[in-house]
Amino acid sequence: MLELPQLDAGIILADCEYWDSLTVLSIIAMLDASYGVHLSAGEVRAMKTAGDLVAAVEQRRRP
Amino acid sequence: MNFLFHGKRISGLLALVPQNEASFLEEMKNFNFPTGRSLKLKEVMGYDKHRLVQDGVCVSDLAVFAMQHLLSRGLLDRDHIDALILVTQSPDHLMPPTSSIIQGRLDLNHDMFCLDINQGCAGFIVGLIEACLLLEQPAVRKVVLINADVLSRKTSPRDRNSYPLIGDAASITVIDRSDARDVIYANLKMDGTRHEALMIPAGGLRVPSDAATAVLQDVGDGNLRAKDHLRMDGSAVFNFVQVEVPPMIESLLGTAGVGLEAVDWFLFHQPNRFMLHKLADKMGIPYAKMPSNIVEHFGNSSGVTIPMAIVSNLAARMLGERFRACLAGFGVGLTWGSMLLSLGEMSFCELIEYPNAGAQPQNDA
Repeated sequence: MLELPQLDAGIILADCEYWDSLTVLSIIAMLDASYGVHLSAGEVRAMKTAGDLVAAVEQRRRP
Repeated sequence: MNFLFHGKRISGLLALVPQNEASFLEEMKNFNFPTGRSLKLKEVMGYDKHRLVQDGVCVSDLAVFAMQHLLSRGLLDRDHIDALILVTQSPDHLMPPTSSIIQGRLDLNHDMFCLDINQGCAGFIVGLIEACLLLEQPAVRKVVLINADVLSRKTSPRDRNSYPLIGDAASITVIDRSDARDVIYANLKMDGTRHEALMIPAGGLRVPSDAATAVLQDVGDGNLRAKDHLRMDGSAVFNFVQVEVPPMIESLLGTAGVGLEAVDWFLFHQPNRFMLHKLADKMGIPYAKMPSNIVEHFGNSSGVTIPMAIVSNLAARMLGERFRACLAGFGVGLTWGSMLLSLGEMSFCELIEYPNAGAQPQNDA
């Protein structure tokens, strides 16, 4: 699993060994539980790098 | 929208599943995914076995079999059924209503109200609300609520997104007049703008079924389904549930003046164990109070999963004891609703099987 704080922003998500629909759903669940942020599967899949994902989460966290 | 009812109760609950059982491990070969990842999905989501009707079995078949089980045992009197509500999204025909077909097959009285309700995951809640509304009429003293679906017949066996968790089932719930001190609180919300999250695209009048709508297509993620098949946007449904269900329950309990810890059982629609555990975590509800085991044993039978959760986990206790229960359904529509009521001291609460073709019924005589 990807831990947001310790991420190398340059990691290309689709290159990760277990990047599939189950991982995407697990990320969505984790983002809800840990950050109260809701991304759709389409939005997560549109992210290219780990940095993109972090930026999207940070943006949605801003009140 | 809030509802408040007095003097009504559930006096009996019967659930029925097809005898025919299939398992995820057997069906894995139909999916376009590596075995290892499918096994991981099974473990994380909580899939194992599901019950599926055999070829040609319809909702009225399940409903009539279940009703005859009650009528033949004297658990229900055919002359005292004032209303028959059927909640289904897999009717025998577009026309006539399947509730009328059931009424006819059972040869019930003409002086009764029959109604089909097209609802799914929230269908048990919607059906109960409708039953309570009918019971406010002097002529209606007993309502039979039937929830039944055969959605496996509308799901692609090559769709790993949907097929493993689908299950077929039926339930009969008898709702009666009772002591005026019995209070039922309920709430309900609808949002049709998000209706595409759970859908069977073809087969109605907007996109009639034809040769083209039956063709299996790779929808882009390795799953194969046709326009005639059920389509579920898993992440949209997950987010919807996490966002909408906790405040709905908070509102219900707030209106009733009841704290979370005062509720004995949270008997929720069972989309799958993963989603229910995430919901329980979010709401601070211990897993022991929120049964989440229906999908792994029987599959997700849409509106029937709430009765299945009760009957499968609490049958014996529902006869002698009484509980404060919070029910909730959420999904197709989108529709979400919940109900707080006293459940228990039922005349019957059991699970039976619809026998395979050529088999003898195994249910007790």
